[in-house]
Amino acid sequence: MFNVIKTFLKEGIKTEDISSYNEDNIAIYKKLPKTLKGSLNIRHIDCGSCNACEYELTALSNIFYDIERFGIRFVASPKHADALTITGPITRNMYKPLLDAMKNVPNPKVIIAIGDCAMDGGIFKGAYGIVGGLKDINIEPYILIKGCPPTPKDIINGILKGFEG
Amino acid sequence: MKHYIESLLHSDDYQFLGLFVSDKTKEQGVFILRYLFYDIKNKKLNITEIDTRKEFPHIDIPALDWYEREIHDMFGLVPKGHPNLRPLMLFPENYPKDFHPLRKDANLNIEYRGYEEYRYENFEPEGSFKILVGPIHAGIIEPGHFRFTLNGEPILKLEIRHFYKHKGIEKLAEGKPVEFGLKLSERISGDHSLAHSLAFVKAVETIYGIDIPPKAVYVRAILLELERLTCNINDFAFIFQDVGYSFGAQKVFAIKEMLMRLNEALTGNRFNRGIIKVGGILKEIDLNIVKDGIKLLKKEYLKYKKLFLNSSTILERTDTTGKVSYETAKKYAALGYVAKASGLYFDTRKIMENKLYGPLIKEFSLKSGDVTARLKVRFNDIEESFDIIEEFISNIPEGNIYKNYEKKDGYSFGFEEGQRGNIIHMLEIENGLISRWKIRDPSFHNWPIIQEAVLGDIIADFPLINKSLNLSYSGNDL
Ligand code: SF4
Repeated sequence: MFNVIKTFLKEGIKTEDISSYNEDNIAIYKKLPKTLKGSLNIRHIDCGSCNACEYELTALSNIFYDIERFGIRFVASPKHADALTITGPITRNMYKPLLDAMKNVPNPKVIIAIGDCAMDGGIFKGAYGIVGGLKDINIEPYILIKGCPPTPKDIINGILKGFEG
Repeated sequence: MKHYIESLLHSDDYQFLGLFVSDKTKEQGVFILRYLFYDIKNKKLNITEIDTRKEFPHIDIPALDWYEREIHDMFGLVPKGHPNLRPLMLFPENYPKDFHPLRKDANLNIEYRGYEEYRYENFEPEGSFKILVGPIHAGIIEPGHFRFTLNGEPILKLEIRHFYKHKGIEKLAEGKPVEFGLKLSERISGDHSLAHSLAFVKAVETIYGIDIPPKAVYVRAILLELERLTCNINDFAFIFQDVGYSFGAQKVFAIKEMLMRLNEALTGNRFNRGIIKVGGILKEIDLNIVKDGIKLLKKEYLKYKKLFLNSSTILERTDTTGKVSYETAKKYAALGYVAKASGLYFDTRKIMENKLYGPLIKEFSLKSGDVTARLKVRFNDIEESFDIIEEFISNIPEGNIYKNYEKKDGYSFGFEEGQRGNIIHMLEIENGLISRWKIRDPSFHNWPIIQEAVLGDIIADFPLINKSLNLSYSGNDL
């Protein structure tokens, strides 16, 4: 770790090669349809997470991961978005705001569930304050990235892999 | 009793730490309210209990406003004479009025449908207009609602509405084993995974009567400082970003990423989840990994601190912005850097665990209470963390990393100083299972302060002020 930090500081930080996260990543990226490559606008919605998932999503923009190099951008308005990332179990209080935001994302939209909670409520399953995960409200995510929280590497791998199919 | 509590709330010798309620109707026929203070002069806790069946006295001080409304929501108890008893956590749109989940006899099967409308405060001075923000925000931020009333540029009033993320964690843990509680405690506020789990585990250890081995104390303290460091560095980067200085922001974000990787190399998890267990820590960790790396990161951090403090254009944005006076901090019982930046000092490590930390923690506080001051307090915290880590690694005692124990029933508090300030967990264990668990994140004290901090500032400075307070939504909403 010492050497890693030393090299970073001496030589400047280089954005990491995605094939170091998963060998096939470059091949997958090359094969992606043109409509996805270089431009994917994501609107993020936190429906009740513990905020560790958000912590890792913000890390995606740092110079190590630099997710914008793939044209993936987090945008401010659902109206600008092609995809939604969703974290956390869906609380009663966030259910309606989530539906409102989803209504405003133009079709076809891609739904990406981030973290164990988003799918079925994860550790919060059974709490009175949540309506459940995406599957409980009959939303089928196109991509599901497991983890509690998934690391930034998992998220990049997951998004690439998800679009491959 | 009411006057006694009031006098403590206004006294400079006492820090108000929280109001905790348990439903004891089955055993004793009453609800017990515990007002928790810390007596700074005599260095001890002061717990004042009130029993009630239905009503309890309303005390007119901002620090208690949310507590009283919370208790009204959760237990259906009435603070007599509270002028503004709107629901806090249980939105009237989504929960029926007679639903009080923390009562032991609560029926948790409630239908999801629209119930009633929420009333916002009525504030419409002539010529004013409103800007509504959230619950979903523009960036990757947690949800919450902000209502600004403006007249031209300056903010006349801000009303916040939180608890969009209210999940019902405390109730979820009832009747579950301590092991589940520990796992859940790491997920109260993700960026404070370790601090919350330590507060929880300390409450358990007091109930069980365990003295954990010195080596475990040290390792826990080192990990806690690493978490504090990561959070403070992260805040620093965000403040760079919000004053519009991306270069600085990216450089400091890189330090944060390296710290997260350091965590991962140490314990296998970027948030150090899963390392704490009741009685000590789960496994031996190789602290040599931290030792040299941390020195380099300190040097790197100092470069950007200098850059920040030498730039007049940045300070132009942060000086005098988002002011919180000492009086405001006091009446809201502010905690952590928000309090320290306004001249109110309370640090759990210094005040409750001075034996361990000694002179490594200075009683650092400032008076100006603006964005700059809150950042400078963080600078001090960052440097202290570096020192503590270095010092503890070189003095770490030999021995076991955990202690075997016998389970017991009982009730106790667990305290920890998270990066945002003092964290408290009140825990009751009955028949080996959690029967009541009250979590208090410092954000619960500090959030309402933002409504005063923004007054008179312009709306464009709001993101910066918000970041300088950087409070947790999930730790607050529970
Ligand atoms: S998946 Fe885990 S890290 Fe993500 S929000 Fe849920 S509990 Fe937190």
